[in-house]
Amino acid sequence: MEKYSGHMNFLTWGLAFALYLAWPASVLAHVEQGQAVGFITGLEHPWSGLDHVLAMIAVGIWGAQLGNPALWILPVTFPMVMSLGAMMGLLGIPLPGIEIGIAVSAILLGTMVLGEVKPKLYIAAVMVGFFAIFHGHAHGTELPAGQSGLLYSMGFVIATGVLHGIGITIGLIHRWPAGKLALRGAGAFIAAMGFVFLWQAVA
Amino acid sequence: MKRSLLHNLRILLGAALSAALLQPSEAAAHLVTTGMGPVYDGIGHLLLTPEDLVPALAMSLYAGMRGRAPGRRALFLFPLAWLLGGFAGLSASGTPTFPLPAISFLLLGALIAADLRMPDNIFTVLALAVGIMHGFFNGIALKAGPSGLGLLGIMAALFVLVAIVSAFVLSLKPPWARIAVRVAGSWVAAMGLLMIGWFFRGQG
Amino acid sequence: MRSILVGMIFLFNGFLLGTVSAHESQPGSLEMKQLAPDRYDIIWRAPIYYGRPHPAQLQLPEDWETIGQPTERRRADAIVFNRVITTGGKSIEGKIIRFPGLEATITDVFIRLKRLDGTMMSTVARPTKPWAELRGERPWYVTAGEYLGLGFHHILMGIDHLLFVLGLLLIVQGRMMLLKTITSFTVAHSITLAIATLGYAHAPLPPLNAAIALSILFLGPEVVRSRRGETSLTIRFPWLVAFAFGLLHGFGFASGLSTTGMPKAELPWALLWFNVGVELGQLVFVFLALALAWSFKTLEVRWPRWAQALPGYTVGSLGAYWTIQRTVILLGGLF
Repeated sequence: MEKYSGHMNFLTWGLAFALYLAWPASVLAHVEQGQAVGFITGLEHPWSGLDHVLAMIAVGIWGAQLGNPALWILPVTFPMVMSLGAMMGLLGIPLPGIEIGIAVSAILLGTMVLGEVKPKLYIAAVMVGFFAIFHGHAHGTELPAGQSGLLYSMGFVIATGVLHGIGITIGLIHRWPAGKLALRGAGAFIAAMGFVFLWQAVA
Repeated sequence: MKRSLLHNLRILLGAALSAALLQPSEAAAHLVTTGMGPVYDGIGHLLLTPEDLVPALAMSLYAGMRGRAPGRRALFLFPLAWLLGGFAGLSASGTPTFPLPAISFLLLGALIAADLRMPDNIFTVLALAVGIMHGFFNGIALKAGPSGLGLLGIMAALFVLVAIVSAFVLSLKPPWARIAVRVAGSWVAAMGLLMIGWFFRGQG
Repeated sequence: MRSILVGMIFLFNGFLLGTVSAHESQPGSLEMKQLAPDRYDIIWRAPIYYGRPHPAQLQLPEDWETIGQPTERRRADAIVFNRVITTGGKSIEGKIIRFPGLEATITDVFIRLKRLDGTMMSTVARPTKPWAELRGERPWYVTAGEYLGLGFHHILMGIDHLLFVLGLLLIVQGRMMLLKTITSFTVAHSITLAIATLGYAHAPLPPLNAAIALSILFLGPEVVRSRRGETSLTIRFPWLVAFAFGLLHGFGFASGLSTTGMPKAELPWALLWFNVGVELGQLVFVFLALALAWSFKTLEVRWPRWAQALPGYTVGSLGAYWTIQRTVILLGGLF
C-alpha cells in the first residue's frame, strides 16, 4: 500500500475537485440565484475594461522580464495592495483622477516592458502598487445591489490573479531572443493604448 | 450568435461554480439540506459556506507550510477546537455585528503570503483560536438544524481536509509550487480586506 | 496503511451516530393509475419511519376531488393509503403533488403515473425537493441523473457497506490486490443488484441484513490477523471474499431501488444509473480513505498501539453488534 502513495497527489486533488463540483446538485435548488451571481459578476469584472486587462498583463510580463524575486513578489503583494485600494473606495475615501491614473499606469508599465527597464525592486513595487490602488479603487467597489460582497470579492480577486498568470505565462517566451522582441512589442502596444485611454479620460 | 454562445458559457460556468461556491452570506438564514441526515447536512454546510471553508483551507495550507509537527498539531487540535467551539455555540445566540471571519481571512492569508515562521506554541494558540471562533458561530447557525450531529460531521470533514491539504503542501517540492501557495494566501488576505470594506459599506 | 487508517474510525464514529439505523428506512411510493379520462386511483405507501408512522403527508392539487371513502391499511413496514379522485375534467399535466413533512426526513418517494393509453411517467420526490410535477416525457439525462443521485445517496447512507469496504482496504496489500478486490466486489454486487432488480430473485430483508452484518463481523478477526502478520485464505485472496460477500451486498443495494410498477422499458436504464451512482459513491469513499492514509504517512503521524488496533476491532465489534441486533429483529419477525 505504501508503494503508490506518491501517486496520490494527483488523484486526490482531481477527486476532491470533482467531488466539490458534484456535491449535491440539489443544494443548488435551495440557494437564491442572486447570491451566486455575485461571484460571477466579480469574476467578470476585471475583464470588462481593456485598460485594466492590459495593465495587469503588463505587470505579469514585466515580472517575467525582471525575473526572481520580482516574478513572485509582484503577484503575492498585488492582490493585497489592490484590496487596500478597494477598501479606500468602500470606506468612501475619494481618489482623484482614477481614469487618468489607470491610463498613466498603463503608459508607464508599457514603457517599462518596452525598454526592459530593470529598476531597483522597491521602485518597481511602488509603481505596481500605485496601479494596484487605482485598479482596486475603480473596480473593487462596483457591486450590483443584492449580491454577496464576499462572493463578489472572491471572484474579483481570483480573476485578477488569473490575469497576472496570463501575463507571466506570456512572459515565459522571454527566454528566446525572438520572444524578447515580441514582449517589447507588446510593451509598446500597451503604452500606446495607455495614451489612447489618457486621451479618452481627459477629453 | 456569438452573444448567445457567450451567454450559454456564462450560464454553464455559473452553474458549475455555484455548485461549488453558492452560499448566502447570512449563514444562519439558510441551512443546507442534503436529504442524508444531520451529519451530511453539517458537512454540506461547511463545503458551501466560504466564510468557514476558506479559513479552514487557509489553516491547512499554513500548517502544511510550517512542517510535519505543526501539521500534525493542526490535524488534531483544529477540528477539535472547532467542535468544542461549536458545542459552546449551540447554547449561545446572536450574530456578531462585525464579520469575524474576515479577520481569519486576513490573518491566515497574510501569514501564508509572508510564509512567516512562528514558535510552536503560538501556532497552537492560533489553530485553537481560529477553530473555536468559527466553531462557535457554526454552532449558533446549526442550532436550528443539524445541531450536534452536524458539528460532528463538520469535525470529521475538517479532519480529512486538514490531513489531505497540509500533507499536500508538505509534499510540494518545486520552489514555484510553494510560491503558488503564497500567492493563494495573498488572495485570501485580499478577500479578508475586502470583506471588512464591504462591512463598513453595509453590504457585507 | 493498516495502522494509518485509524483516523477513519474517528470519522466513522461521527457518521454512525447519525446514520446507523437510517439505512433500514425504506423509500415511499405513490402510484397513480388512470381509471377513466378524469379519474385516477391513488395509492400512497408511507413507510414506517423509525418505528412510527411517517411524518410526511400527501397533499394533492386543490381542485381534485375524492370520490368514495379513502382507505388506510397498516402493513408491517408501511401504511398504505388508497383513494380515487376526479380531476373535474381538467388535465393533470403540470399539476404539483406535495409531500409536506418530507423535508425533515431522509426518505425518497417514487412517483409513478400509469395512463389509460399505456404510457407511463415516473419521478422522485426527495427531502430536498418534497414535491413532484406531473408531466409527459422527460429527457433521458434527467431520469439518469435522478437514479444516479439515488445510488450515490444510497451507498453514502449505507454505513454497513462502507464498513465492509473499509475492512477490505485494511486487509489488502499492494496495488494490484487492491484493484482486484475492489473490482470483484463491484462485479459481484452489480450481478445480484441486477438479478434482484430485474425480478429473477428476491432476498427477504431481515435475514439479508443479518447476513450483511455477518460479513462485516467476519472481516474483523481477519483484519487483526493480517495486522499480526499472520495469513489466511482471506488475506491471501481478499478478492475471493470480496466477491462472495459482494453478492450479498448487491441484494442490499437493491432494497434502495424500488421498482414495483416501474415500466419495463425503464428498468434497465434505472438499474444502470443507480449502479453507476453506487460505484461513484464507493470510489469516493475508497479514494478518501487512501488519500487520508497517504496524508498520515506524509505527516508522519505515529499512532499509539491501541489506536493502531482500533480499526480492526471497530469493524469486528460493529459487525458483531449489527449481527446480534439484526438476528433479534429476524427472530422477532419469525415468532
